Amino acid sequence: MRIAWVAAVLEREAAELLRNRLLLLSILGPPIVIVVGPVILGKLVAGRPLPVGLTAGLVAGRPEWAALSPGDLAAAYSFQQFLLFFLMLPAFIPLSIATFSIIGEKQSRTLEAVLATPIRTAELLAGKAIAAAVPGIAGGLIAYLGFAGLVRALYGPALFAIVSAPDWLAATFLLGPAIALLSVVLGILVSARANDPRTAQQIGAVIVVPLVAVVIAQAAGRFLVDATAYGLAAVAVLLLALAGLRAGTWLFAREAILTRWR
Amino acid sequence: MVRAPAHPAWQTPPVTPRAPSPPDLAVWTDGLGRRFGERWAVRELSLELQRGEVFGLLGPNGAGKTTTIRLLAALIAPSAGQARVDGLDLARDADGVRARVGVLTEAPGLYEKLSAARNLDFFGKLQGLAPAVRAERIERLLRLFDLWDRRLEPTGTFSKGMKQKLAIARALLHDPPVLFLDEPTAALDPEAAAVVRDAIGTLRGQGRTIVLCTHVLPEAERLCDRIGFLRTTLLRVDTPARLRTAVANGRVHVRLTGPASPDLLSAVRADAGVVEAGAATDGLVAELRDADAGTPALVRSLVAAGASILEVRREAATLEEVYFEVMGARADTESAA
Repeated sequence: MRIAWVAAVLEREAAELLRNRLLLLSILGPPIVIVVGPVILGKLVAGRPLPVGLTAGLVAGRPEWAALSPGDLAAAYSFQQFLLFFLMLPAFIPLSIATFSIIGEKQSRTLEAVLATPIRTAELLAGKAIAAAVPGIAGGLIAYLGFAGLVRALYGPALFAIVSAPDWLAATFLLGPAIALLSVVLGILVSARANDPRTAQQIGAVIVVPLVAVVIAQAAGRFLVDATAYGLAAVAVLLLALAGLRAGTWLFAREAILTRWR
Repeated sequence: MVRAPAHPAWQTPPVTPRAPSPPDLAVWTDGLGRRFGERWAVRELSLELQRGEVFGLLGPNGAGKTTTIRLLAALIAPSAGQARVDGLDLARDADGVRARVGVLTEAPGLYEKLSAARNLDFFGKLQGLAPAVRAERIERLLRLFDLWDRRLEPTGTFSKGMKQKLAIARALLHDPPVLFLDEPTAALDPEAAAVVRDAIGTLRGQGRTIVLCTHVLPEAERLCDRIGFLRTTLLRVDTPARLRTAVANGRVHVRLTGPASPDLLSAVRADAGVVEAGAATDGLVAELRDADAGTPALVRSLVAAGASILEVRREAATLEEVYFEVMGARADTESAA
Protein backbone atom coordinates (compact mmCIF):
# COMPACT_ATOMS: atom_id res chain seq x y z
CA MET A 1 0.00 0.00 0.00
CA ARG A 2 1.37 3.39 -1.00
CA ILE A 3 1.07 6.08 1.65
CA ALA A 4 0.95 8.99 -0.83
CA TRP A 5 -2.20 7.63 -2.48
CA VAL A 6 -3.89 6.97 0.87
CA ALA A 7 -2.93 10.47 2.01
CA ALA A 8 -4.36 12.00 -1.17
CA VAL A 9 -7.72 10.32 -0.55
CA LEU A 10 -7.60 11.25 3.12
CA GLU A 11 -6.84 14.88 2.35
CA ARG A 12 -9.67 15.15 -0.16
CA GLU A 13 -12.12 13.47 2.20
CA ALA A 14 -11.18 15.95 4.92
CA ALA A 15 -11.51 18.90 2.54
CA GLU A 16 -14.98 17.75 1.52
CA LEU A 17 -16.02 17.08 5.10
CA LEU A 18 -15.05 20.59 6.14
CA ARG A 19 -17.24 21.99 3.34
CA ASN A 20 -20.27 19.87 4.24
CA ARG A 21 -22.04 21.97 6.88
CA LEU A 22 -24.85 19.50 7.50
CA LEU A 23 -22.46 16.64 8.10
CA LEU A 24 -20.16 18.80 10.16
CA LEU A 25 -23.05 19.88 12.37
CA SER A 26 -24.20 16.29 12.84
CA ILE A 27 -20.66 15.37 13.89
CA LEU A 28 -19.94 18.32 16.18
CA GLY A 29 -23.39 18.58 17.80
CA PRO A 30 -23.62 15.27 19.72
CA PRO A 31 -20.22 15.54 21.49
CA ILE A 32 -21.18 18.92 22.90
CA VAL A 33 -24.47 17.54 24.21
CA ILE A 34 -22.79 14.45 25.62
CA VAL A 35 -20.12 16.48 27.43
CA VAL A 36 -22.39 19.16 28.83
CA GLY A 37 -25.44 16.94 29.48
CA PRO A 38 -24.06 14.73 32.28
CA VAL A 39 -22.32 17.67 33.94
CA ILE A 40 -25.62 19.53 34.22
CA LEU A 41 -27.52 16.39 35.16
CA GLY A 42 -25.00 15.65 37.91
CA LYS A 43 -25.73 19.04 39.49
CA LEU A 44 -29.47 18.46 39.21
CA VAL A 45 -29.41 15.04 40.89
CA ALA A 46 -26.78 15.88 43.51
CA GLY A 47 -29.43 17.11 45.96
CA ARG A 48 -31.61 14.04 45.46
CA PRO A 49 -30.20 10.91 47.06
CA LEU A 50 -30.81 7.60 45.33
CA PRO A 51 -33.37 5.10 46.68
CA VAL A 52 -31.93 2.89 49.40
CA GLY A 53 -32.27 -0.32 47.41
CA LEU A 54 -30.47 1.12 44.40
CA THR A 55 -27.72 2.57 46.59
CA ALA A 56 -27.16 -0.81 48.22
CA GLY A 57 -26.97 -2.52 44.84
CA LEU A 58 -24.46 0.02 43.48
CA VAL A 59 -22.21 -0.16 46.54
CA ALA A 60 -22.30 -3.95 46.40
CA GLY A 61 -21.11 -3.82 42.82
CA ARG A 62 -18.59 -1.03 43.37
CA PRO A 63 -17.38 -1.05 47.03
CA GLU A 64 -15.22 2.03 46.41
CA TRP A 65 -18.42 4.02 45.86
CA ALA A 66 -19.33 3.53 49.53
CA ALA A 67 -17.05 6.44 50.46
CA LEU A 68 -19.08 8.88 48.33
CA SER A 69 -21.59 11.25 49.87
CA PRO A 70 -25.25 10.57 48.93
CA GLY A 71 -25.16 13.57 46.53
CA ASP A 72 -21.90 12.41 44.88
CA LEU A 73 -23.23 8.88 44.62
CA ALA A 74 -26.30 10.16 42.75
CA ALA A 75 -24.01 12.17 40.44
CA ALA A 76 -21.70 9.17 39.95
CA TYR A 77 -24.68 7.00 39.07
CA SER A 78 -25.91 9.50 36.49
CA PHE A 79 -22.39 9.86 35.03
CA GLN A 80 -22.17 6.11 34.70
CA GLN A 81 -25.19 6.09 32.42
CA PHE A 82 -23.44 8.53 30.10
CA LEU A 83 -20.33 6.41 29.72
CA LEU A 84 -22.07 4.43 27.00
CA PHE A 85 -23.11 7.62 25.27
CA PHE A 86 -19.42 8.35 24.86
CA LEU A 87 -19.25 5.05 22.95
CA MET A 88 -22.03 6.16 20.67
CA LEU A 89 -19.84 8.95 19.31
CA PRO A 90 -17.32 6.55 17.71
CA ALA A 91 -20.33 4.56 16.48
CA PHE A 92 -22.24 7.39 14.84
CA ILE A 93 -19.54 9.75 13.59
CA PRO A 94 -17.70 7.21 11.36
CA LEU A 95 -21.03 5.85 10.14
CA SER A 96 -22.16 9.33 9.09
CA ILE A 97 -18.86 10.14 7.38
CA ALA A 98 -18.51 6.77 5.62
CA THR A 99 -22.06 6.75 4.29
CA PHE A 100 -21.94 10.38 3.14
CA SER A 101 -18.56 9.78 1.55
CA ILE A 102 -19.37 6.58 -0.35
CA ILE A 103 -22.96 7.33 -1.30
CA GLY A 104 -21.94 10.89 -2.13
CA GLU A 105 -19.43 9.48 -4.62
CA LYS A 106 -22.08 7.18 -6.04
CA GLN A 107 -24.46 10.09 -6.52
CA SER A 108 -21.89 12.40 -8.10
CA ARG A 109 -20.41 9.49 -10.11
CA THR A 110 -16.86 10.37 -9.15
CA LEU A 111 -15.69 6.86 -8.36
CA GLU A 112 -15.20 5.79 -11.97
CA ALA A 113 -12.83 8.70 -12.60
CA VAL A 114 -10.93 7.79 -9.43
CA LEU A 115 -10.76 4.12 -10.39
CA ALA A 116 -9.47 5.06 -13.84
CA THR A 117 -6.24 6.22 -12.17
CA PRO A 118 -3.51 3.86 -10.95
CA ILE A 119 -4.84 3.97 -7.37
CA ARG A 120 -5.34 0.52 -5.84
CA THR A 121 -8.72 -0.14 -4.31
CA ALA A 122 -7.10 -1.05 -0.98
CA GLU A 123 -5.56 2.45 -0.91
CA LEU A 124 -8.92 4.02 -1.70
CA LEU A 125 -10.60 1.95 0.99
CA ALA A 126 -7.88 2.74 3.52
CA GLY A 127 -8.12 6.47 2.81
CA LYS A 128 -11.88 6.46 3.21
CA ALA A 129 -11.81 4.23 6.30
CA ILE A 130 -9.20 6.37 8.07
CA ALA A 131 -11.02 9.57 7.11
CA ALA A 132 -14.19 8.18 8.69
CA ALA A 133 -12.68 6.42 11.71
CA VAL A 134 -10.29 9.11 12.94
CA PRO A 135 -12.92 11.82 13.60
CA GLY A 136 -15.04 9.22 15.40
CA ILE A 137 -12.22 8.02 17.61
CA ALA A 138 -10.94 11.54 18.17
CA GLY A 139 -14.46 12.80 18.83
CA GLY A 140 -15.03 10.11 21.48
CA LEU A 141 -11.70 10.72 23.18
CA ILE A 142 -11.84 14.51 23.09
CA ALA A 143 -15.40 14.49 24.39
CA TYR A 144 -14.37 12.16 27.20
CA LEU A 145 -11.32 14.25 28.12
CA GLY A 146 -13.45 17.41 28.09
CA PHE A 147 -16.05 15.75 30.26
CA ALA A 148 -13.45 14.43 32.72
CA GLY A 149 -11.88 17.88 32.90
CA LEU A 150 -15.24 19.48 33.64
CA VAL A 151 -16.00 16.88 36.33
CA ARG A 152 -12.61 17.59 37.94
CA ALA A 153 -13.23 21.30 37.87
CA LEU A 154 -16.89 21.31 38.95
CA TYR A 155 -17.23 18.23 41.17
CA GLY A 156 -13.79 17.68 42.70
CA PRO A 157 -11.38 14.73 42.94
CA ALA A 158 -13.82 12.12 44.34
CA LEU A 159 -16.07 12.14 41.30
CA PHE A 160 -13.11 12.67 38.96
CA ALA A 161 -11.74 9.39 40.32
CA ILE A 162 -15.02 7.71 39.34
CA VAL A 163 -14.93 8.97 35.72
CA SER A 164 -11.22 8.18 35.34
CA ALA A 165 -11.55 4.68 36.79
CA PRO A 166 -10.35 1.66 34.73
CA ASP A 167 -13.87 0.93 33.41
CA TRP A 168 -14.13 4.43 31.90
CA LEU A 169 -10.61 4.23 30.47
CA ALA A 170 -11.16 0.75 29.01
CA ALA A 171 -14.43 1.84 27.46
CA THR A 172 -13.20 5.06 25.88
CA PHE A 173 -9.66 4.01 24.93
CA LEU A 174 -10.27 0.36 23.91
CA LEU A 175 -13.91 -0.26 23.10
CA GLY A 176 -14.48 3.18 21.53
CA PRO A 177 -11.85 2.78 18.77
CA ALA A 178 -13.01 -0.82 18.12
CA ILE A 179 -16.59 0.41 17.72
CA ALA A 180 -15.38 3.15 15.37
CA LEU A 181 -13.71 0.54 13.15
CA LEU A 182 -16.83 -1.64 13.16
CA SER A 183 -18.91 1.41 12.34
CA VAL A 184 -16.72 2.22 9.32
CA VAL A 185 -16.99 -1.35 8.08
CA LEU A 186 -20.75 -1.28 8.54
CA GLY A 187 -20.91 2.05 6.71
CA ILE A 188 -19.02 0.58 3.76
CA LEU A 189 -21.14 -2.57 3.64
CA VAL A 190 -24.41 -0.67 3.81
CA SER A 191 -23.32 2.11 1.43
CA ALA A 192 -22.45 -0.40 -1.26
CA ARG A 193 -26.15 -1.20 -1.54
CA ALA A 194 -27.97 1.93 -0.34
CA ASN A 195 -28.32 5.05 -2.46
CA ASP A 196 -29.28 7.49 0.25
CA PRO A 197 -27.01 8.38 3.19
CA ARG A 198 -29.96 8.68 5.60
CA THR A 199 -31.19 5.20 4.76
CA ALA A 200 -27.68 3.82 5.13
CA GLN A 201 -27.30 5.47 8.52
CA GLN A 202 -30.62 4.09 9.70
CA ILE A 203 -29.58 0.58 8.69
CA GLY A 204 -26.11 1.06 10.12
CA ALA A 205 -27.57 2.35 13.38
CA VAL A 206 -28.15 -1.29 14.32
CA ILE A 207 -24.65 -1.04 15.80
CA VAL A 208 -25.98 0.92 18.79
CA VAL A 209 -28.60 -1.66 19.75
CA PRO A 210 -26.26 -3.59 22.10
CA LEU A 211 -25.08 -0.31 23.61
CA VAL A 212 -28.63 0.83 24.27
CA ALA A 213 -29.39 -2.53 25.88
CA VAL A 214 -26.47 -2.07 28.25
CA VAL A 215 -27.56 1.49 29.05
CA ILE A 216 -31.05 0.29 29.96
CA ALA A 217 -29.72 -2.60 32.07
CA GLN A 218 -27.32 -0.29 33.93
CA ALA A 219 -29.99 2.35 34.47
CA ALA A 220 -32.23 -0.32 35.98
CA GLY A 221 -29.47 -0.99 38.49
CA ARG A 222 -29.07 -4.58 37.33
CA PHE A 223 -25.31 -4.36 36.90
CA LEU A 224 -22.39 -2.06 36.18
CA VAL A 225 -20.03 -3.08 33.40
CA ASP A 226 -16.45 -3.25 34.63
CA ALA A 227 -13.12 -2.70 32.88
CA THR A 228 -12.59 -6.37 32.06
CA ALA A 229 -15.98 -6.59 30.39
CA TYR A 230 -15.19 -3.49 28.30
CA GLY A 231 -11.83 -4.96 27.34
CA LEU A 232 -13.40 -8.26 26.26
CA ALA A 233 -16.12 -6.38 24.38
CA ALA A 234 -13.40 -4.40 22.59
CA VAL A 235 -11.72 -7.62 21.43
CA ALA A 236 -15.03 -9.10 20.27
CA VAL A 237 -15.98 -5.93 18.38
CA LEU A 238 -12.54 -5.75 16.81
CA LEU A 239 -12.81 -9.35 15.58
CA LEU A 240 -16.26 -8.60 14.18
CA ALA A 241 -14.89 -5.50 12.44
CA LEU A 242 -12.01 -7.45 10.91
CA ALA A 243 -14.41 -10.10 9.61
CA GLY A 244 -16.58 -7.35 8.14
CA LEU A 245 -13.52 -5.72 6.62
CA ARG A 246 -12.94 -8.84 4.51
CA ALA A 247 -16.41 -8.49 3.06
CA GLY A 248 -15.84 -4.74 2.70
CA THR A 249 -12.62 -5.33 0.77
CA TRP A 250 -14.46 -7.66 -1.60
CA LEU A 251 -17.24 -5.10 -2.07
CA PHE A 252 -14.67 -2.39 -2.63
CA ALA A 253 -12.98 -4.12 -5.54
CA ARG A 254 -12.74 -1.96 -8.66
CA GLU A 255 -14.87 -4.31 -10.68
CA ALA A 256 -17.55 -4.61 -7.98
CA ILE A 257 -17.86 -0.85 -7.62
CA LEU A 258 -18.26 -0.34 -11.35
CA THR A 259 -20.57 -3.22 -12.11
CA ARG A 260 -22.48 -4.09 -8.96
CA TRP A 261 -22.89 -0.83 -7.08
CA ARG A 262 -26.22 0.75 -7.91
CA MET B 1 -15.71 32.04 -30.88
CA VAL B 2 -13.27 30.52 -28.42
CA ARG B 3 -10.64 28.50 -30.22
CA ALA B 4 -7.78 26.35 -29.12
CA PRO B 5 -4.47 28.21 -29.48
CA ALA B 6 -2.11 27.33 -32.34
CA HIS B 7 0.36 25.85 -29.85
CA PRO B 8 -1.75 24.08 -27.26
CA ALA B 9 -0.73 24.37 -23.67
CA TRP B 10 -0.52 20.63 -23.19
CA GLN B 11 1.94 20.17 -26.02
CA THR B 12 4.70 17.95 -24.68
CA PRO B 13 7.58 15.93 -26.05
CA PRO B 14 6.55 13.03 -28.30
CA VAL B 15 5.10 10.10 -26.43
CA THR B 16 7.13 6.93 -26.65
CA PRO B 17 5.74 3.49 -25.90
CA ARG B 18 7.05 1.80 -22.79
CA ALA B 19 7.17 -1.68 -24.27
CA PRO B 20 6.59 -1.91 -28.02
CA SER B 21 4.38 -4.87 -28.76
CA PRO B 22 4.22 -6.94 -31.91
CA PRO B 23 2.44 -5.49 -33.74
CA ASP B 24 3.35 -1.99 -32.50
CA LEU B 25 -0.15 -0.67 -32.16
CA ALA B 26 -1.73 1.75 -29.73
CA VAL B 27 -4.61 -0.63 -29.09
CA TRP B 28 -4.80 -4.26 -30.09
CA THR B 29 -7.58 -6.62 -29.11
CA ASP B 30 -8.26 -10.18 -30.10
CA GLY B 31 -11.67 -11.69 -29.42
CA LEU B 32 -12.14 -9.42 -26.42
CA GLY B 33 -15.41 -9.90 -24.62
CA ARG B 34 -17.16 -9.21 -21.37
CA ARG B 35 -20.11 -11.07 -19.97
CA PHE B 36 -22.39 -10.03 -17.10
CA GLY B 37 -24.11 -13.17 -15.91
CA GLU B 38 -25.43 -14.89 -19.02
CA ARG B 39 -25.48 -11.73 -21.11
CA TRP B 40 -22.55 -10.61 -23.23
CA ALA B 41 -22.14 -6.83 -23.10
CA VAL B 42 -19.28 -7.02 -25.61
CA ARG B 43 -18.04 -10.05 -27.49
CA GLU B 44 -15.54 -11.04 -30.16
CA LEU B 45 -14.04 -7.58 -30.30
CA SER B 46 -10.97 -7.65 -32.51
CA LEU B 47 -9.44 -4.30 -33.23
CA GLU B 48 -6.17 -2.70 -34.24
CA LEU B 49 -5.66 1.01 -33.67
CA GLN B 50 -2.60 2.78 -35.02
CA ARG B 51 -0.75 5.35 -32.95
CA GLY B 52 -2.20 8.79 -33.49
CA GLU B 53 -5.44 7.40 -34.85
CA VAL B 54 -8.79 8.81 -33.84
CA PHE B 55 -11.23 5.96 -33.74
CA GLY B 56 -14.94 6.58 -33.42
CA LEU B 57 -17.14 4.06 -31.68
CA LEU B 58 -20.76 4.41 -32.71
CA GLY B 59 -23.73 2.44 -31.55
CA PRO B 60 -27.06 2.77 -29.77
CA ASN B 61 -27.41 2.98 -26.00
CA GLY B 62 -26.57 -0.39 -24.48
CA ALA B 63 -24.44 -1.41 -27.45
CA GLY B 64 -21.38 -1.95 -25.25
CA LYS B 65 -19.45 1.27 -25.88
CA THR B 66 -18.92 2.11 -22.22
CA THR B 67 -18.06 -1.51 -21.43
CA THR B 68 -15.50 -1.44 -24.25
CA ILE B 69 -13.92 1.69 -22.82
CA ARG B 70 -13.90 0.19 -19.34
CA LEU B 71 -12.24 -2.95 -20.67
CA LEU B 72 -9.57 -1.05 -22.59
CA ALA B 73 -8.92 1.32 -19.67
CA ALA B 74 -8.37 -1.69 -17.38
CA LEU B 75 -11.32 -0.78 -15.21
CA ILE B 76 -12.95 -4.17 -15.60
CA ALA B 77 -11.48 -7.50 -16.55
CA PRO B 78 -12.38 -9.26 -19.80
CA SER B 79 -14.34 -12.52 -19.76
CA ALA B 80 -12.72 -13.60 -23.01
CA GLY B 81 -9.95 -12.63 -25.39
CA GLN B 82 -6.86 -10.53 -24.90
CA ALA B 83 -5.76 -6.96 -25.41
CA ARG B 84 -2.75 -4.67 -25.32
CA VAL B 85 -2.92 -0.94 -24.80
CA ASP B 86 0.17 1.15 -25.55
CA GLY B 87 2.15 -2.06 -25.58
CA LEU B 88 0.96 -3.22 -22.16
CA ASP B 89 -1.02 -6.38 -21.62
CA LEU B 90 -4.36 -5.65 -20.00
CA ALA B 91 -4.40 -8.84 -17.99
CA ARG B 92 -0.81 -8.61 -16.74
CA ASP B 93 -0.32 -4.88 -16.15
CA ALA B 94 -3.63 -3.23 -15.40
CA ASP B 95 -1.99 -0.60 -13.18
CA GLY B 96 0.42 0.26 -15.99
CA VAL B 97 -2.44 0.57 -18.48
CA ARG B 98 -4.32 2.91 -16.18
CA ALA B 99 -1.26 5.13 -15.94
CA ARG B 100 -1.00 5.27 -19.75
CA VAL B 101 -4.59 6.08 -20.61
CA GLY B 102 -6.82 9.06 -19.98
CA VAL B 103 -10.52 8.45 -19.54
CA LEU B 104 -13.35 10.90 -19.90
CA THR B 105 -16.25 9.13 -18.25
CA GLU B 106 -19.86 9.43 -19.32
CA ALA B 107 -20.59 11.78 -16.39
CA PRO B 108 -18.02 14.48 -15.52
CA GLY B 109 -17.70 12.97 -12.02
CA LEU B 110 -16.28 15.98 -10.20
CA TYR B 111 -16.17 16.70 -6.49
CA GLU B 112 -18.64 19.55 -6.46
CA LYS B 113 -17.74 21.02 -3.09
CA LEU B 114 -14.11 21.33 -4.14
CA SER B 115 -12.66 23.92 -6.49
CA ALA B 116 -11.58 23.17 -10.04
CA ALA B 117 -7.92 23.45 -9.07
CA ARG B 118 -8.39 21.18 -6.06
CA ASN B 119 -10.18 18.58 -8.18
CA LEU B 120 -7.31 18.49 -10.65
CA ASP B 121 -4.73 18.49 -7.88
CA PHE B 122 -6.36 15.43 -6.31
CA PHE B 123 -6.41 13.51 -9.57
CA GLY B 124 -2.83 14.62 -10.28
CA LYS B 125 -1.80 13.05 -6.98
CA LEU B 126 -3.61 9.83 -7.90
CA GLN B 127 -1.64 9.82 -11.14
CA GLY B 128 1.56 10.12 -9.12
CA LEU B 129 2.57 13.52 -10.49
CA ALA B 130 5.13 15.56 -8.55
CA PRO B 131 3.83 18.81 -6.97
CA ALA B 132 5.66 21.09 -9.41
CA VAL B 133 4.46 19.11 -12.43
CA ARG B 134 0.91 19.12 -11.09
CA ALA B 135 0.90 22.86 -10.56
CA GLU B 136 2.29 23.55 -14.04
CA ARG B 137 -0.12 21.22 -15.84
CA ILE B 138 -3.14 22.36 -13.86
CA GLU B 139 -2.45 25.96 -14.83
CA ARG B 140 -1.88 25.09 -18.50
CA LEU B 141 -5.04 23.03 -18.79
CA LEU B 142 -7.24 25.43 -16.87
CA ARG B 143 -6.03 28.29 -19.04
CA LEU B 144 -6.52 26.24 -22.18
CA PHE B 145 -10.11 25.46 -21.29
CA ASP B 146 -10.76 29.00 -20.16
CA LEU B 147 -11.33 28.00 -16.54
CA TRP B 148 -8.32 29.64 -14.92
CA ASP B 149 -10.24 32.65 -13.61
CA ARG B 150 -12.69 30.33 -11.85
CA ARG B 151 -10.13 27.84 -10.59
CA LEU B 152 -10.88 28.55 -6.93
CA GLU B 153 -14.65 28.23 -7.21
CA PRO B 154 -16.46 25.01 -6.24
CA THR B 155 -17.24 22.99 -9.34
CA GLY B 156 -20.84 22.68 -8.13
CA THR B 157 -21.31 26.26 -9.32
CA PHE B 158 -20.07 25.43 -12.85
CA SER B 159 -22.26 25.01 -15.92
CA LYS B 160 -22.48 21.59 -17.60
CA GLY B 161 -20.07 22.74 -20.28
CA MET B 162 -17.53 23.97 -17.76
CA LYS B 163 -17.74 20.69 -15.88
CA GLN B 164 -17.19 18.75 -19.08
CA LYS B 165 -14.15 20.86 -19.97
CA LEU B 166 -12.73 20.30 -16.51
CA ALA B 167 -13.31 16.56 -16.85
CA ILE B 168 -11.42 16.59 -20.16
CA ALA B 169 -8.61 18.54 -18.49
CA ARG B 170 -8.53 15.83 -15.82
CA ALA B 171 -8.20 13.12 -18.46
CA LEU B 172 -5.21 14.98 -19.95
CA LEU B 173 -3.50 15.78 -16.67
CA HIS B 174 -0.97 12.94 -16.79
CA ASP B 175 -0.26 13.41 -20.49
CA PRO B 176 -1.55 9.97 -21.59
CA PRO B 177 -0.68 8.55 -25.03
CA VAL B 178 -4.11 6.90 -25.32
CA LEU B 179 -7.36 8.69 -24.59
CA PHE B 180 -10.85 7.28 -24.20
CA LEU B 181 -13.50 9.94 -24.55
CA ASP B 182 -17.08 8.96 -23.80
CA GLU B 183 -19.40 11.60 -25.30
CA PRO B 184 -16.93 14.50 -24.93
CA THR B 185 -19.19 17.18 -26.39
CA ALA B 186 -22.49 15.86 -25.05
CA ALA B 187 -23.25 18.71 -22.68
CA LEU B 188 -21.32 21.48 -24.35
CA ASP B 189 -22.50 24.64 -26.04
CA PRO B 190 -21.34 25.09 -29.66
CA GLU B 191 -18.33 27.21 -28.70
CA ALA B 192 -17.11 24.81 -26.02
CA ALA B 193 -17.76 21.86 -28.34
CA ALA B 194 -15.61 23.56 -30.98
CA VAL B 195 -12.79 23.97 -28.46
CA VAL B 196 -13.01 20.29 -27.58
CA ARG B 197 -13.10 19.19 -31.21
CA ASP B 198 -10.08 21.37 -32.01
CA ALA B 199 -8.33 19.96 -28.98
CA ILE B 200 -8.99 16.40 -30.14
CA GLY B 201 -7.50 17.25 -33.52
CA THR B 202 -4.42 18.72 -31.86
CA LEU B 203 -4.01 15.71 -29.60
CA ARG B 204 -4.06 13.43 -32.61
CA GLY B 205 -1.28 15.55 -34.15
CA GLN B 206 0.84 14.83 -31.08
CA GLY B 207 0.75 11.11 -31.73
CA ARG B 208 -1.94 10.32 -29.20
CA THR B 209 -4.50 7.71 -29.95
CA ILE B 210 -8.09 8.61 -29.23
CA VAL B 211 -11.12 6.37 -28.94
CA LEU B 212 -14.18 8.54 -29.20
CA CYS B 213 -17.68 7.37 -28.29
CA THR B 214 -20.29 9.73 -29.61
CA HIS B 215 -23.84 9.96 -30.82
CA VAL B 216 -23.06 13.11 -32.80
CA LEU B 217 -22.51 11.58 -36.23
CA PRO B 218 -21.15 14.71 -37.97
CA GLU B 219 -18.63 15.00 -35.14
CA ALA B 220 -17.52 11.41 -35.66
CA GLU B 221 -17.24 11.97 -39.39
CA ARG B 222 -15.22 15.13 -38.93
CA LEU B 223 -12.86 13.91 -36.22
CA CYS B 224 -12.36 10.21 -36.79
CA ASP B 225 -9.91 8.48 -39.08
CA ARG B 226 -11.96 5.33 -38.79
CA ILE B 227 -15.33 4.49 -37.37
CA GLY B 228 -16.51 1.27 -35.81
CA PHE B 229 -20.17 0.40 -35.47
CA LEU B 230 -20.74 -1.54 -32.29
CA ARG B 231 -23.69 -3.55 -31.14
CA THR B 232 -22.27 -6.07 -28.68
CA THR B 233 -19.77 -6.93 -31.38
CA LEU B 234 -18.10 -4.77 -34.00
CA LEU B 235 -20.36 -4.82 -37.04
CA ARG B 236 -18.25 -2.79 -39.44
CA VAL B 237 -15.04 -0.74 -39.28
CA ASP B 238 -13.77 1.59 -41.98
CA THR B 239 -12.98 5.19 -42.84
CA PRO B 240 -15.98 7.51 -42.96
CA ALA B 241 -15.49 8.05 -46.71
CA ARG B 242 -15.40 4.34 -47.54
CA LEU B 243 -18.38 3.61 -45.29
CA ARG B 244 -20.44 6.29 -47.02
CA THR B 245 -19.49 5.10 -50.48
CA ALA B 246 -20.07 1.47 -49.64
CA VAL B 247 -23.59 2.06 -48.40
CA ALA B 248 -24.51 4.20 -51.42
CA ASN B 249 -22.74 1.76 -53.72
CA GLY B 250 -25.11 1.86 -56.68
CA ARG B 251 -26.27 5.47 -56.62
CA VAL B 252 -25.05 7.76 -59.41
CA HIS B 253 -25.87 11.43 -59.79
CA VAL B 254 -25.84 12.73 -63.38
CA ARG B 255 -25.77 16.50 -63.79
CA LEU B 256 -27.27 17.64 -67.05
CA THR B 257 -27.69 21.02 -68.74
CA GLY B 258 -31.31 20.90 -67.68
CA PRO B 259 -33.86 18.71 -65.85
CA ALA B 260 -34.25 15.17 -67.15
CA SER B 261 -37.25 14.79 -69.46
CA PRO B 262 -39.69 11.86 -69.07
CA ASP B 263 -38.36 10.39 -72.34
CA LEU B 264 -34.81 10.53 -71.07
CA LEU B 265 -35.83 8.84 -67.80
CA SER B 266 -37.62 6.13 -69.78
CA ALA B 267 -34.48 5.53 -71.82
CA VAL B 268 -32.39 5.25 -68.68
CA ARG B 269 -34.85 2.85 -67.02
CA ALA B 270 -34.69 0.63 -70.08
CA ASP B 271 -30.99 0.02 -69.37
CA ALA B 272 -30.59 -3.46 -67.88
CA GLY B 273 -28.08 -2.24 -65.29
CA VAL B 274 -30.42 0.39 -63.86
CA VAL B 275 -32.63 -0.53 -60.94
CA GLU B 276 -34.40 2.81 -60.62
CA ALA B 277 -34.02 6.34 -61.95
CA GLY B 278 -35.58 9.64 -60.91
CA ALA B 279 -35.34 13.29 -61.84
CA ALA B 280 -33.25 15.71 -59.84
CA THR B 281 -33.29 19.50 -60.02
CA ASP B 282 -30.08 19.54 -62.06
CA GLY B 283 -30.36 16.17 -63.84
CA LEU B 284 -31.14 12.70 -62.60
CA VAL B 285 -30.20 10.12 -59.99
CA ALA B 286 -29.94 6.47 -61.01
CA GLU B 287 -29.67 3.43 -58.78
CA LEU B 288 -27.42 0.89 -60.51
CA ARG B 289 -27.00 -2.79 -59.82
CA ASP B 290 -23.23 -2.30 -59.93
CA ALA B 291 -21.93 1.25 -60.08
CA ASP B 292 -18.51 0.28 -61.46
CA ALA B 293 -19.87 -1.83 -64.33
CA GLY B 294 -23.08 0.10 -64.91
CA THR B 295 -21.85 3.70 -65.06
CA PRO B 296 -20.23 3.55 -68.56
CA ALA B 297 -23.37 1.87 -69.95
CA LEU B 298 -25.55 4.51 -68.33
CA VAL B 299 -23.49 7.29 -69.88
CA ARG B 300 -23.77 5.62 -73.31
CA SER B 301 -27.57 5.32 -72.93
CA LEU B 302 -27.83 8.98 -71.95
CA VAL B 303 -25.69 10.15 -74.84
CA ALA B 304 -27.69 7.96 -77.23
CA ALA B 305 -30.88 9.56 -75.90
CA GLY B 306 -29.45 13.01 -76.65
CA ALA B 307 -28.62 14.14 -73.10
CA SER B 308 -26.00 16.84 -72.53
CA ILE B 309 -23.95 15.55 -69.58
CA LEU B 310 -22.03 18.00 -67.38
CA GLU B 311 -20.90 15.62 -64.64
CA VAL B 312 -21.33 12.02 -63.47
CA ARG B 313 -20.72 11.46 -59.77
CA ARG B 314 -21.12 8.44 -57.54
CA GLU B 315 -23.20 9.46 -54.58
CA ALA B 316 -22.07 8.88 -51.05
CA ALA B 317 -24.51 8.19 -48.26
CA THR B 318 -24.55 10.32 -45.12
CA LEU B 319 -23.08 8.78 -42.02
CA GLU B 320 -26.57 8.67 -40.60
CA GLU B 321 -27.68 6.52 -43.53
CA VAL B 322 -24.67 4.30 -42.99
CA TYR B 323 -25.53 4.03 -39.30
CA PHE B 324 -29.07 2.93 -39.97
CA GLU B 325 -27.95 0.62 -42.76
CA VAL B 326 -25.43 -1.13 -40.49
CA MET B 327 -27.62 -1.19 -37.39
CA GLY B 328 -30.67 -2.13 -39.41
CA ALA B 329 -28.84 -5.04 -40.97
CA ARG B 330 -27.88 -6.20 -37.52
CA ALA B 331 -31.47 -5.87 -36.28
CA ASP B 332 -32.63 -7.96 -39.25
CA THR B 333 -30.04 -10.63 -38.44
CA GLU B 334 -31.17 -10.70 -34.80
CA SER B 335 -34.81 -11.00 -35.88
CA ALA B 336 -33.99 -13.87 -38.23
CA ALA B 337 -32.06 -15.64 -35.48
